[in-house]
Amino acid sequence: MLLRARNIFKTYAMGRTEVPVLRNASVSAEKGEFLVILGASGSGKSTLLHILGALDTPDRGTVEFDGESVTLLPAARRNHYRNQKIGFVFQFYHLLPEFTVLENVMMPRMISQSVISWITTRRKARRDAQALLERVGLADRVLHRPKELSGGERQRVAIARALVNRPAILLADEPTGNLDSKIGEEILRLLVSFSDEGQTIVMVTHDLQLASHAHRRLLLEDGALREYRESRPSTHFAAKEVAP
Amino acid sequence: MYKWFFAWRYLHTKLIALFGVASVTLCVAMVLVVLSVMGGFLDTLRERSRGLHSEIVVESGSIQGFPYYQQFEAYLNKHLPNVIKTTTPAIYSYGIVRVRATAYTRPCRVLGIRLSDYIQVNEFGNGLHYEGFYPGTTKLGAQGMPLAGFNETNRLALPPDHEQASAVWRKKQSDLAAIDEYDARPFETAPFPKELAVTSGGSRVFSMHFESPRYEGPERYGVIIGSDLLFDRLSGGRFDRYLARGANISLTLMPLSQTGSPTGEPPVKLPLRYVDDSHTGIFEIDDLCIYVDFDMVQHKLGMDPQPRVDGGTTAARTNQLLISLQPGVGLYESKAGITDAWNEFILEIDRNLSAADAQSLSFVKVHTWEDLQRPFINAVEKEKVLVTFLFALISIVAIVLLGCIFYMIVEKKTRDIGTLKALGASSGGVASIFISYALVVGISGSVLGTLVGSLFVWNINGIQDFLASLNPQLRVWSPEVYSFDKIPEVVKTADAIWVASIAVVASVIGSFIPAALAGRVWPVQALRYE
Repeated sequence: MLLRARNIFKTYAMGRTEVPVLRNASVSAEKGEFLVILGASGSGKSTLLHILGALDTPDRGTVEFDGESVTLLPAARRNHYRNQKIGFVFQFYHLLPEFTVLENVMMPRMISQSVISWITTRRKARRDAQALLERVGLADRVLHRPKELSGGERQRVAIARALVNRPAILLADEPTGNLDSKIGEEILRLLVSFSDEGQTIVMVTHDLQLASHAHRRLLLEDGALREYRESRPSTHFAAKEVAP
Repeated sequence: MYKWFFAWRYLHTKLIALFGVASVTLCVAMVLVVLSVMGGFLDTLRERSRGLHSEIVVESGSIQGFPYYQQFEAYLNKHLPNVIKTTTPAIYSYGIVRVRATAYTRPCRVLGIRLSDYIQVNEFGNGLHYEGFYPGTTKLGAQGMPLAGFNETNRLALPPDHEQASAVWRKKQSDLAAIDEYDARPFETAPFPKELAVTSGGSRVFSMHFESPRYEGPERYGVIIGSDLLFDRLSGGRFDRYLARGANISLTLMPLSQTGSPTGEPPVKLPLRYVDDSHTGIFEIDDLCIYVDFDMVQHKLGMDPQPRVDGGTTAARTNQLLISLQPGVGLYESKAGITDAWNEFILEIDRNLSAADAQSLSFVKVHTWEDLQRPFINAVEKEKVLVTFLFALISIVAIVLLGCIFYMIVEKKTRDIGTLKALGASSGGVASIFISYALVVGISGSVLGTLVGSLFVWNINGIQDFLASLNPQLRVWSPEVYSFDKIPEVVKTADAIWVASIAVVASVIGSFIPAALAGRVWPVQALRYE
């Protein structure tokens, strides 16, 4: 098992009130698997994804990557884990506005390098970034700034950035949530194509249609995960009055 | 790697960063200007003070002077030949100077000097105006007025000794521009035609007539006048010398007896000739002092040997004995040696002293030139420290401003910081982005500030002249207040390095709190919403 989260509990404090978000949630992903976690808005999908990506820590429970506990890693190794093993794709792209498309994609590589090692490796980093941008169809936009791109193009840059360090797992948080359906389809096709090449992807979404391409679908409900069975007529989950 | 990349990119894409650079630039420039001007003021003060006096001054604090100075000169030359180079006496008194052509009067301080010796013990000779162009022609002895006229080749010329001296000056002059300047305005007319038709160029003013060049008028003792005493300043360090060389000047003196009382005689009125003007660069001196022949003024003030009621004569008196030292001799060791010599000398002559002589000698002290100027130098040193401290204190505002600027950037960039952390950046790495950024801002601001400050200091007199040409009220440097006629315009490399380095360190310190806050940004919170 490449990634396994067991018995995850997470509670947010909202003023004096404690709002439990994850209650005994367990999930695992095989290598090469395209796993979709479904759930209503506010059900804790993003929280779970952040915990899997070591951006956040659970109150209880463990996350293991390749058999090693991520939750017990010291800060430096957690940073390394996020940089080398995980690629994040966010709903709102989160590209760095001062940098060009190429520089955005090269950024994870840059973060892992000292000045000296960067001098020797930057050509390769540039080649890899350019290859990925070509792959996502933005070879002619490398010197553009994010504000000069459309939403779909920005998300494709974000995907290229997430993959530049060849991470074991791509964590995608509502990657089409900010796009219209046509562009959302394109982004999904792009993710599926990477999945077809063996990239492990864990995606959270509330869009049932997007989930149809996944190898496996889980539903996050009441803070816990279970296999999703298509019994609902709606294509979207309704928002719940729970904490994010 | 990404830290420097971010720092550099933020520097030239964020307008707010330019405000940070500008604040550091202004602070560095401001402190450097203050430090350079005050430091330059202090250095000039030291340099000019050294040039005004001899290295050692034996003086009586009392205006009636002290006797036996000639014997002490001989004593020194006999007992300390390896220490003493030159000695010369000087008398100082007070009087009223009057320009006869205009009846303009000024109170003045009168210095009786032996010019040939006096210029050896200090740098007085360097500030003489006509002596520069006609070396050897400035004398304080009796002399006529040099009149320009037409020589045998029908060319306008000065008396032969002046022409020969001018030829010497021209021969020595390596700077041809100086000769061009000398020749630039050869026939300008001065406002008092009877005595002063101008020849020979610019501010070198002579009387002339249509006969052959010569000396004219009764022989009178010469007087060197402080440049600001009678003449107005023009731009570029020139003076409006409206008096021709050799013009008639009157000096009125009040002689004092050895006991310091007026002698009862009427004030002494001396007809003199203006032979040169002296520019020491210290306004208080140039605005107050005139220089006359030592022996003449000693006689007129009754400080030469006088008959006593018991049939003998009193000893000649002076106010100062100026001593220059042999090269390589230590100033304070010499002072100690000369003080000892003075005490021994007094013991030697003690048996023959009258009560008045003993009283006069009791006032005598041995000083170094630094001792004489110490109160003033110390005051300026303290002022320099105080002003620099005040401006450094003001510069703390810039550090706070820089802190605010970085805080605003951190606030604005919270989401980007979250993104960086999601991409694997550590908290320390994120914090060091802002510290590197501050370092880049500090270095940029310091380099620019040093450049701006240096350019300002190097051109500070020109800037003041320009501002004064727009509005005379904008002339901030007054020679009457600051002693010197020009604002010091030297930037010391060590000062510049210190100020710039401190500014860089201060910039980095200013970024610590915002950098720490950036490092503590919780990525989940930062990335949650658009």
